[in-house]
Amino acid sequence: MAAILQTRGLKKYFGGLYAINGVDLAVEEGELRCLIGPNGAGKSTLFKLILGSYDPSEGEIFFRGENITGIRPHLRIQRGMSIKFQVPGIFLDLPVEQNLRIALQRAYRGAALEEELSRLLDLIDLEGQRDELAANLSHGQQQWLEIAMAVALRPAMLLLDEPTAGMSPEETFKTGELVKRLNASGMTIIVIEHDMAFVRQIAKRVTVLHFGKVFDEGTLDKIVGNEDVVRIYLGKV
Amino acid sequence: MFWSAFGTIVLAAAVLPMFVNDFAITNLTYFLVWVFMALGLSLIWGYAGILSFGQTAFFGLAGYTYGVVSINLGEGGLWTWFALVVSLVMPLVLAVIVGYFMFYGGVRDVFVGIVTLSITLVFETFMAQTAGPEWTIGSARLNGFNGMSNMPPLTIPWGETPLVFDGTSFFWLVLAMGVLVYLGLRILVNSRFGNVLVAIRENPDRAEMLGYNVRMYQLLVFVIGSVLAGMSGVLYTLWGSYITPSSMGLTAAALPIIWVAAGGRKDLTATLLATVLLTWLSQQLAVKGNQYALIWMGAILLVVVLFAPEGLFVTVWKKLRGRMRARQAEPSPKTASSTSA
Amino acid sequence: MTFLVQAYAFLYQFADSFAFLVLCGLGLAIIFGMMGVINLAHGEFIMCGAYVTVLTARAGLPLPFAMLAGTLAAGLVGLILEFLIIRRLYHRLFDSIVATWALSLIATQGMLIVAGPSIEGLKTPFGSFELGEYSFSVYRALLPLVALSLLAALYWLFVRTRFGRYSRATIEDADMARALGANTSRIYSQTFGLGAALAGLTGALYAPTMTAVPTMGQAFIVQSFVTVVVSGADVMLGLAPSAAVLAFIQSLLTKSYGQLIGQIGLLLTVIIVVRVLPKGISGWVLQRNAGH
Repeated sequence: MAAILQTRGLKKYFGGLYAINGVDLAVEEGELRCLIGPNGAGKSTLFKLILGSYDPSEGEIFFRGENITGIRPHLRIQRGMSIKFQVPGIFLDLPVEQNLRIALQRAYRGAALEEELSRLLDLIDLEGQRDELAANLSHGQQQWLEIAMAVALRPAMLLLDEPTAGMSPEETFKTGELVKRLNASGMTIIVIEHDMAFVRQIAKRVTVLHFGKVFDEGTLDKIVGNEDVVRIYLGKV
Repeated sequence: MFWSAFGTIVLAAAVLPMFVNDFAITNLTYFLVWVFMALGLSLIWGYAGILSFGQTAFFGLAGYTYGVVSINLGEGGLWTWFALVVSLVMPLVLAVIVGYFMFYGGVRDVFVGIVTLSITLVFETFMAQTAGPEWTIGSARLNGFNGMSNMPPLTIPWGETPLVFDGTSFFWLVLAMGVLVYLGLRILVNSRFGNVLVAIRENPDRAEMLGYNVRMYQLLVFVIGSVLAGMSGVLYTLWGSYITPSSMGLTAAALPIIWVAAGGRKDLTATLLATVLLTWLSQQLAVKGNQYALIWMGAILLVVVLFAPEGLFVTVWKKLRGRMRARQAEPSPKTASSTSA
Repeated sequence: MTFLVQAYAFLYQFADSFAFLVLCGLGLAIIFGMMGVINLAHGEFIMCGAYVTVLTARAGLPLPFAMLAGTLAAGLVGLILEFLIIRRLYHRLFDSIVATWALSLIATQGMLIVAGPSIEGLKTPFGSFELGEYSFSVYRALLPLVALSLLAALYWLFVRTRFGRYSRATIEDADMARALGANTSRIYSQTFGLGAALAGLTGALYAPTMTAVPTMGQAFIVQSFVTVVVSGADVMLGLAPSAAVLAFIQSLLTKSYGQLIGQIGLLLTVIIVVRVLPKGISGWVLQRNAGH
């Protein structure tokens, strides 16, 4: 299978240090990859580079075979990427259905839009709250709303930055099932996570980031078996 | 129900000249002239979240352009319309340049305000020192702080009796333009374009990550709002046959902010109502020899910001709607609470 | 010989502009740089200081005391306004801009109604001295020194006193500062009061050199925000360089083309700086040095 996402020699320098210090990453189409690492390892920065929020200091990024280094974020989204931010990036002062509508209206119109809107609301269990202001949802519901918005774009590749942050164990499990279901339909998904139970629930392949470099890569069992990985996490695994 | 009320008001306004004297009509026209700029600011600030202090710059630019072009082309009927078009093109061009400079240059939030205020002040300062006779474009003297005057009204030539847009006919023209612009803007903000504007206002990063070209939308809305400000500028100049640099000063720049904020910047109708009401109010205070007009304006703005930040009309309307809903709905354990902006 | 006189004339003009910009900018910079509040009523605090100085001096108070009165009056008004209005607007940037603009409008009009279009002013103290064909005001020649001493005094205040340390901590991280025992709301109001008092001091210092009119605030506010924007958030680091650069541009333009073109030059500079150095001079310096 072809690599849907590839980075080569990616570096990002921020007045003082290299947040990303030489990352060569390859994610296959249809993969479900987890990105883990201690705080400050550069995981969110890597996402921002992939999306185009940051320009790399060095290196290149390829998406679906195309060199997208230097292409503006909204164009990358239009090429088939989508993101769920770490801090809920939804429209808090707008109703739930308006949030989804804005995500859908680029690709859908009229009856098809309404249909898809309902389908997404059912997916995240918020059909009954469609007119509720997004700010009034619980934290977990807000996370799901954002996932739904990200998924509404029907992306080829979905980036999730700590999707279960602040969620209860039940919500976390439900999220894991949702992610697995999306991946089963063919969507490539890259997930940044700290919650190891969640990683275990969904992960096929795991990449460990440390000090802006890829520290290790492989199945979860292989990673957990690596003493150095355990050490850099200071026993959090 | 809204549309029947709206239609009634427009009809009433249209037949008003038959019942009131010319002076009242001229006054009413004066209030309507400002509506375009206010609606433009509501679009830029209320819907797209861009606080621009530059409305008065476009206002002045359009006004002076009309003066210069129409004076130079003489009183030839259709040429006044040409002057009108050119006076709208000038703010459009400036808005494209400034908008590109800002939005494509990463200027955000409060800095947009700073840049646009600076531009407005540059204009005012520049025009203020054009009093000398050497400051002339063609046959039109810019005249510095004394202001430019004697520009011809809009005219449609018709043999011996050309239709001159003055008094009542000018009122009807402004009314018609106002209705068209208002309706046009309503269609715009309720469309997909409008949804994107709101998304950009609420969370520009998220809007970008949903695939929208945020900068382009910001530029577009800025240009539309600025042309609308220019429209007010031309109409003002036509109304009084006069334009001066003080229409671009600090105080003048504050006024549209006050009208829009007081009514409710996120709502076109509230903005419209507030503009007409507040301009009428200032005029009443000035007429009665009351120097307190600006103090009242300032006080209203302060009260609104502190106690009704969504605008007076919007806040009142929401409260009324809340009461109506409470009476209609069955009592339920959970009620949706609305947050204020 | 005339070359030296010309050179001094330019230097005098430059130093005069420099002092004006530093003094104008200080109060606004403290409030904006440290609290993130854009105080568009800043010009009116200056006006307040000027008016109180003139009125108390004409009532018989010796000039230095009149200036002190002006400074304190502005500071007091600042504390009151902070308590009544500003403190509700700390996390609402747009609203603080609009609200302070409203206050400015009210203050300007109010002063116009209460005190009329102008009041009889004061004489500039210390007279003048002559060099070649130019005559220079001693008082205005001394103001740059006042400006520099004020900067030094504020540096000492913010770096070496308890108030200063608590202030800076509060600005950086209010929650943490509170947890460590700082009374953050008192610090906010004191900082705002200080900013207002500095504005009052500016008004007081310039009162003997100009006619006090209700709209004088408008002349100051533009210079103030230009200086602050070019300076960036770190007042200590950016204000003096910012004022120096702007004073140079303004003096050059004024010399060749007149006052109004000088003013336009300042405004164009701020537009360019916002685009090219959005964090101002201090932001740019801090970013460059972060690498070492």
